[in-house]
Formats: sequence, C-alpha cells, structure tokens
Amino acid sequence: MSNRRGGHKKNNRDKAFFDYSMLFIVIFLLCFGLVTLYSVSSYEAMLDFGEPGYYFRKQAQATLFGIIMMFVVMFLDYHIWQKLAIPAYAVSVILILLVLTPLGYEVNGARRWLNVGISLQPAEVAKVGMIIFFAAHVCKMGKNIQTLKGVLRTLLLGVPISVLVLTITDNLSTAIIIFGIIFMMVFVATPNYKEYFLLGAAGVGVASIFVLLVKKGVLTSEQSYRFGRIEAWLNPEAFAGTTGFQTLQALYAIGSGEIFGKGLGQSMQKLGFVPEAQNDMVFSIICEELGLFGAGAVLLMFLLLIWRFLVVANNAVDMYGALLVVGVMAHISLQVILNVAVVTNLIPNTGITLPFISYGGSAVVFLLIEIGLVFSVARRIRLRNSGD
Amino acid sequence: MQKKLTVLFLLIVAAFGALSVKLYAINRDNGEEYKKQVLSQQEYDSKALPAKRGEILDCNGTKIAVSQKVYNVCIDAKTLNGKEGQFIEPTLDALYNSEIDFSYTREDLKKYIAANPTSQYRIIAKKQPYDVVSELMDKLNNRAQNPNIKGVWLENTYQRTYPYGSLACDVIGFVQGDNEGAYGLEEFYNSTLNGIPGREYGYLNDDENLERTIKPADNGKTLITSLDVNIQSIVEKHILAFNKEHENEYREGNGSKNTAVIIMKPDSGEILAMASYPVYDLNDPRNTDGLTVVVDEEEYSTQGVVNISGEDGEEKSDNEENGEEASEEGEEGTSEVDINIEESEEEADGRGSVTAPAGIRDRGSAKALDPGEPGEEETEDTQPEPSGPKTYEEAYEEAKMEALNALWKNFCINQTYEPGSTYKPFTMAAGLEEGVLTGNESFNCQGVKEVGGHQIHCNNRLGHGILDFSGALEQSCNVAFMDIGAKMGKTIFMKYNRLYNFGLKTNIDLTGEAMTNSLVFDPETMVPSDLAISSFGQGFNVTMIQMVTGFCSLINGGYYYQPHVVTKIINDDGATIKTIEPRVLKQTVSEETSARIVELCNNVVSKGTGKSARPAGYRIGGKTGTAEKYPRKRGNYVVSFMGFAPADDPQIVIYTVIDEPNVPSQASARYATILTKDILTEVLPYMHVFMTEELTEEEKAALSEAQLTFAQSSDESLSENGIVSENAVEEGQDPENTGVVNDSVIIFEEEEQKEEKEVVLDPETGYPIDPVTGAILDPETGQPMDANISDLE
Repeated sequence: MSNRRGGHKKNNRDKAFFDYSMLFIVIFLLCFGLVTLYSVSSYEAMLDFGEPGYYFRKQAQATLFGIIMMFVVMFLDYHIWQKLAIPAYAVSVILILLVLTPLGYEVNGARRWLNVGISLQPAEVAKVGMIIFFAAHVCKMGKNIQTLKGVLRTLLLGVPISVLVLTITDNLSTAIIIFGIIFMMVFVATPNYKEYFLLGAAGVGVASIFVLLVKKGVLTSEQSYRFGRIEAWLNPEAFAGTTGFQTLQALYAIGSGEIFGKGLGQSMQKLGFVPEAQNDMVFSIICEELGLFGAGAVLLMFLLLIWRFLVVANNAVDMYGALLVVGVMAHISLQVILNVAVVTNLIPNTGITLPFISYGGSAVVFLLIEIGLVFSVARRIRLRNSGD
Repeated sequence: MQKKLTVLFLLIVAAFGALSVKLYAINRDNGEEYKKQVLSQQEYDSKALPAKRGEILDCNGTKIAVSQKVYNVCIDAKTLNGKEGQFIEPTLDALYNSEIDFSYTREDLKKYIAANPTSQYRIIAKKQPYDVVSELMDKLNNRAQNPNIKGVWLENTYQRTYPYGSLACDVIGFVQGDNEGAYGLEEFYNSTLNGIPGREYGYLNDDENLERTIKPADNGKTLITSLDVNIQSIVEKHILAFNKEHENEYREGNGSKNTAVIIMKPDSGEILAMASYPVYDLNDPRNTDGLTVVVDEEEYSTQGVVNISGEDGEEKSDNEENGEEASEEGEEGTSEVDINIEESEEEADGRGSVTAPAGIRDRGSAKALDPGEPGEEETEDTQPEPSGPKTYEEAYEEAKMEALNALWKNFCINQTYEPGSTYKPFTMAAGLEEGVLTGNESFNCQGVKEVGGHQIHCNNRLGHGILDFSGALEQSCNVAFMDIGAKMGKTIFMKYNRLYNFGLKTNIDLTGEAMTNSLVFDPETMVPSDLAISSFGQGFNVTMIQMVTGFCSLINGGYYYQPHVVTKIINDDGATIKTIEPRVLKQTVSEETSARIVELCNNVVSKGTGKSARPAGYRIGGKTGTAEKYPRKRGNYVVSFMGFAPADDPQIVIYTVIDEPNVPSQASARYATILTKDILTEVLPYMHVFMTEELTEEEKAALSEAQLTFAQSSDESLSENGIVSENAVEEGQDPENTGVVNDSVIIFEEEEQKEEKEVVLDPETGYPIDPVTGAILDPETGQPMDANISDLE
C-alpha cells in the first residue's frame, strides 16, 4: 500500500484522486444493463403494455436520476453522513413503518413499496442507511469493537431493522442482505476470525435444519411459501408446474446458451417462459443470449468493480471512509453472489436482483448513491503522507 | 483491517469462482438436455387453421348447404389472474357488454377463473357470427387503448348451415363433431367437402432462430347436384299436405308411416328430387320435439327393452321377427288364400335349403311391432340383452337415439319393401324381350289361380274375365301375370330380375343404401308359388332407388344409368375439378320392348288403374302398386305409383311410395296416384312441359283455382323454406312459368277413348265395377272401395 502511495506522490501531489477505472466499470455495467434489460423485457412489455420499450424507458429515467444523485453525493464531503448516522437509522425505520400506512402499496402480492410522489422501495433506503449508520457506529466504538461483547452488541443493533424488513415488508432476502452487510463490515473492522466462523457456521446450521425439516416433510409449503421454495430448490423437476417453474426455466436458459450463446436478443426463454425475466432472472437470459463467455464477462466486471472498492477502501483517508466503502462492497458482492446462486439453483429462490442490470428504479438510484459515496471517499485520497 | 479486507475480497473471489464453476457444470452436464427442452417448449406456437367445408348447390346454383366463418371466444384464466387480478373486471366488462352469447353467466365465469387459476384455454362462447364479435375483435386488436383486456382471444372456425332447413334433409345429411358428415351427401362426399386444415407454426432455421410460417388451409370442394330446390319444395309441400290431411285419422300419428317420392331424369340417372316424410331440421338434427319417444316402464325395469313409437321410430330389426311371424300365422289356421303360410310349411317340409326365400318375405315386410301380439315377447327375447338393468334415463336416451337414427335414414335408399304391382311392367318387359310373349296374348281371369297346390287370388276376386295383353296391365291382373310368370319360367324371370339390378346396389352417391342381395329369390331354390307371386311383385324386397332406376331403363330405350345426385365438383375458386357424366351401366331391354312398355304404361293411366294419377292437361304413363305388408292380414299396405311424363317423350320419372297410410282401409293406390297427380300438376309446368290435352270445364275450374292457390301457397311455402324468389330470377326464369300456365300455349289434342267391354269400368276413376252390387272396386285389391276387409293379391 505504501508503494502505491509512493506512486501517487510523484504525479498527483495535490490533485484529488479520481478512480476512472471504477467510473468506466460503472458506466459499462449501466449501459450493458440497459441493453440487456431491453432485450429481455421487450416481449413482455409489448404484451403487457403494448410498448416494447416500457421497462427500458422507466429504467433509463431512473438511471439518469441516479447518475445525477451519484455526482451530488460524490462532491459532498462524506463526513456529513457520519454526523447523520442516527437520523439515517431513524429514517430507514420510519420509511419501513410507512409501508403500513396508506402510502404503501402492493406489487405482485407483496406490500413493499411507498408512493411518495415517486415510487420508492424503503428496503433500498435501509441498505444505504445501514451502511452509513454502522460505519459511524464502528468508528465510534473504537477499540471496543475488538471484544466479543462489542461485536455482538454491534450485530444486535442490526437485528431490529432486519426484523422490520422481514416482518413488515415480508422480504427475507433483503433482511439477509442487510444483516450480511453489517456482518461483513464488523468482520473487516475486527482482527478476529474465530467468532465469525462460529457465527457463520451457526447460520448455516440453522438453515440446514430448516432444509432438513422440509426434506423430511415436517415443514411444508402449506405453512409458508418459503418452505415451498425450499422444496422446489431440492427437487425443481418435481415442482416443474408450480414453485419450481421459474428456477427450472432459468436452468433451461442457462443450459441452452452454450459457450457463446444464441446472440443478443435471440433468447427463446424470455418469450414468456422465464417469469419476471427482467427482474431476478435476468442473469439466466444473459447466459442464454451471450453464453458462458458473456456471463463470465459480466461476473468479471463485477469482480473488477469490487476490486476497485478494495483499492479505495485500502487507501481511504480514514476509518469511516474505509468502512463506507466496505459496506458498499459487501452490498454489491452479496447481491451478485446471491442472485447468481438463485439463478443456478445453488440456494432456494429468493427475490434478489442483479445490481445495475435487473429492472428496478429504487434499486439503481440507491446503488448509484452508494457508488457516489465510494467516489466521495476516493476523492479524499491524497498524498497526505508526502512529508513522511 | 487491510488484511481482513483482503480476506473478505478473497472470499468473494472464491464465491464468484464457485458460481462460475456451477455455470460451467450446468452447461456441461445438462446443456444438451436443456437445449432440447427449450426447443420443445416452442412447439405450442403452432396452431391449426380450419379449412372451410365445401358447399352443396342445386342444379341452378342455389345454396343448400354453406359454411360460415364463426368465432369461438376463449379465455386464459392464468393471464386473467395475473397482476393482482386487475384484468378480470375490465375484461369481463368488455365481454359482457357485447352481444355475444356466452355459455357462462358473468358470475359463473368469475367463479371459474377463481377456481382454475392455471387454466389457459377455455371456450366460453361457441360459434358466434362476425357481427356479434366484431366489437370485441376491435378492442383486442387495439391493445394500446385497452391495456387491461387480457387473457381473451378469438378462434376461427366454421359453422355448417342449411338455408332451407329441412329441405332435402335425407339427401343432404348433416355435419357433426369435427366436420364429420353424417348421412346423405355430407357423409358420402365427406372427404371431398372437407378441406385440409392449414397450420401456422414456428420453426427453427439453420441459425436456430425461430421463424414463423403459415401453411394456408386448403378449402373443401363444392358439390353441384342435380337436385332442383323448386321441384324438391313442390314435392315436400305435397308430401306434407298429404300427411297433415291424414294425421291422426285412423291411429295416433302422422298421415303415414312414411311417404317418399323420387323424381329422376330417365335419360341420365340424375335425381331431381328425393324426399321422404317425416323430415328433420338439418340445422338442428338432434331436435326431438317432433318425435314421440315412449319408454315403457315395465320394459326398462324388467327386461331392459325399450319400445319406441315415434314418427318412424318403429324400425326394429326385421330379422328378429322371422320365426314368430310364421308360427303365429300358422296358429290362425290355414286359409286357402294365405299362400305364405302354406308355402312356409311346404318349404319346411320339403327342402332344408329354402329358408332363404322364407326369410326374404319375413324380412321384407314386417316392420311394425304391434303391442299385444303374442309374438312380441319372443321378439324381445331375441334382442341382445343389455348388461345390467337400465335406469329410466338410460332407456329413454337409448329410445331417443334409436328414434333419431331412424329419422335420419333416407327411406328412398335405405328401406326395403315388397314392390307389388309396380313390378308388373318389369315382368312384362322380360317376357317381351325373351320372345316368350308376343304382345298379342289374351288372358282369362276367373279371380283365382292354383299354383303348386295353393289357391292364389287375383286382386279382383270376381275375376277380370277375358283380358287382352294391354288389359292385363291396365287392370293389374294377378292371374294374367302368374300365367306370364309360369310361361317364362323361373330361370328367365330371375335372369331379368338380376339384370334390372334387383339384389344389387345401384351405387347411388348417397350413404346408407340397403343391401338386398339376401332379399331376392335364389333361382336354385325357387318354387312355382314363389315364381307366381314374384311375377306380380310380392315375395322379394327392393329399395325405391332400385325400382325407379330400373323403371327408367324400361322406358328410355333400355339404358340402365347409374343414379346419381352430384353432377359436378368445383373447387374454392369455382374451377371445375370433376364432371360426373351420365353413366350407362348396362342395357336391360331393347328399344322395341322399351317402346312397348311405354305404350302399355300410357294405357294404364289413360284407361286403367292409374287414371287418377294424370294431371290435368297432360298425358302420362305409369303403374300403380298396392302391396300388403308382412305379416299379412294386418291391413298394412305399401301403396305406390311409378310413372313418367310426358307420355310420348318421358322427361321425368316419378315414384311415389306411401308406407301404411293412416286411413281405415289402406289398400288403395289412389293415395299414391292423387299425390303423384298433385306433384306433377306443379312440376310439369315448372319444367316447361307444355300441356297437350284438352281441359274439361271442371279441370279448368279446378286448375284455375289451384293456380290461384298454388301461386299463393307456393309463395308461402317458398318463404317458409327460406327460398328467395331471387333465385328464380337469377336463373333467368320467367316467374310465370314456374307455376302459372298460360292458356294460349296449350295445344289441344283429341284422344280416342276405348272402353273395355269385358269388365265394366267406372268412367271417372277407371276402376272396375262390381256387376252385382254396382260398387266401385279397388283394382289392386278387388274390394269395394269402402270396405274394411282387405284380401290381398
């Protein structure tokens, strides 16, 4: 790391650091996402709205707004957020609670949205809110975070918001992601390993018990649709007509893509076979149209983006900035990994979208705000150590 | 912290690596399988495009059967239930605000959609015409303006309709199920009428891109028939009038068990009209309103046998009654007149191989189940017993189907019966052709002739006295014909019987022609009494189409034409595919014999038993027939008249058969001759046949009255049948000629009337008069016209 700083010392003595590589990757992912979204959604959009570009248009609008927000956040001093940590937590909770009021509305049977002039998904706000809050919280804890007690206390702070997301918006996957973000931030902030592996093992253990119970038939889809999804995950062919349909169709799409795919726009599975192809299952259509090569390229772009986060986090001028970047990194990597794992049927079906590519206005705006945060942190990187 | 960050990054890289491996593994392990799966799922994209069934036209191009494009309304409950069910109400609004006739009420459909969320195909309205669905069609085509109308689409199909309803129903037949013709032309020409459905389908090209292509439907071919809707209507009008007149007269029910008429062109074998009664509506063939379906309670509960009495629902298999009838009659005692009993006994005693002729008679004659007769129960026993007891509903359904099946059958080609005296010209022609008869013979009829030990009576039991050759036919003398039969012998008789095509099919292009090969005599086993009765048309069975086709050959110079209804087959664009030319199958008799038969038949109408068949102003020829049905002595008769017009240049042959007229005394051919006269009175002017005879004052009066009523009633009946007068105009016909005859064109011609001296005849009817009582006798039965007792033959 010191070498790197040494490199900057010569060229950018007083200039702000600007990560053009990351900007390029983000723009690439946004453009690629829009092209893919148009390809995937035009058929359904034509059927449903009589306008092939319906989803594309709405997503493009959200993306433009998001880019503006990204630059706004980029040029703000990120230390503002440190002071606003507690309000950020509060706003997240209030927005989630607002879903219960008449402002909230349902889409596809789930009440997760707020109508405040524009449509807004509070869970997306909560993700940013938690990154801001926990980055500040960990900084505040200082050395205390390194004790087991400190770790547990920090994690416990994340429990209420996760529970709210799970109960009020009935959204397990977002709850897991929010908790996962907090978990990763704490993991990075402390030098220990043992506790985390134990915690991780405990989580895997609890999940395994549920899976085992579903497998034995103790828990069935009649008790909760989530158990039905586990059933379908264990044996998608047996539920090909119902709960396993989406997963199975996605697998067919992936399997039929071969190495270079059928070509952009040539997917057959998007023609009404893969339900909600523009949302959770967009990656399967990428596999079908662009093949393993295209899918690998997309994963590589995400990996590069995460690597840029790593670089920025390592060079951040302070702990708070570094933790903000770690939060964003945790968020994006978790969503990519879980989304692809769902599509490939490695884990049961949950409603996790692929960042920058899946359809979703709130998601892309808040993702770009997070990217703005990272740029904001990156801009602070200077050769302050030049005097050393 | 940097260390932990690196660890986290490595963990993320590991996860990405694992996902990549999984992606690769899916492609490697299941790639081929999933690829096929994806392709196979595309299959549903293909859909059939229905072909239009060909039309059926009459000889003037009038459409008798047409196919119209109609629409089925289908729903996809899965789509309707999508997006929180927000499409259901707008879609149902669009549906139920139209004039479409749905099979569901709105509430029921809503329940169906809720109860079957995965159903993707349900027809909710069938066969709706375009003007009813056009509004919905516009909405569906304009999705941008109606984004919430979803999960509904229209499916093309064709509906068979018959503009004339029941007209020529037995000839046309109907269509059931999936374009499958039933009965008549619809069944016989099913593969011609049916087109080849097209298909719209997607396929994968070389680059595995989905492409769509349409293979259009190949529409069916259109049949042009020799039928003439106007003649057919005239025929059906008079058949209906006859049956209405005699409805419930003697027994409950129609004016006859069946009344059938065939009009045919003798010089080509083309059928101009073919009708029987009762009729059914081709647009609603399963309507049982006109049928009386009677289910006997005892029978369904005990024996499971259903006794139907409907308009013609009594069509029990005749075979079943064979044995019982004979024995039953045997019990009645051996009357010397009843040749059949004695014959049966003799056959049973003498030779074992004679069962066939005995069977012939039995099968041929008895059709009615007469409740209360001792034979009935035994008959039922021979019926195949259904397994298990039937419920009333089952028994009723079965009875209904049996009655319907009987109704749908074409009497003219399907029903066999004994022809009776209408066969006499055939016997005579055979004798003349073989030289057995010179044409100058005279016969002495004493009213009875003994053949093979049987006393066989003439229709006139008093005897006709001395008859010349022509007189034998004019008076329909059975004794004379038994003499003729004996003179020619069974070999010649049966040679000609087969030459006239009896026992064989005519192969008319209609479905359901009866097989009669077992219903005629076998010359090997024929005994003298068989020959005697068959010489005047009893003892063997024929179909109407056999009789009329054979008769055509007798009067047209001996050419036996294959009868046919279809004259031309054209394709959808109107191009001729096939022309069906008249086809001479064989020569039955010589030109000379034929000319002689024409002359003899003319005498029958001018002087003999057929007088009442002559329409005013015309000369026609023909022969009457009155055949007692089997079982004998029940007073059941088939009365008939077979004739041609005009007398010197036959253009049409008409054959009228009335099966069991609903009158106290059935044994009078007058019912058939009068019906024939009524039909010809209208048909001949329509066909531009000029009157050749002077009209008496009474005839003029009757005719002018009839013309008036004809002009009116024809209009009514035509409009009833849906005939539009435009048809006639289109064909370039002068409407006057269709019914009204202008007096100025009638050519008056004097004709000498020769009175027969041997037998005193009633000058009006041409029927013999009993010299003792002075009563008019029926020429066929020899009984006083008002007598109830009937003694056959």
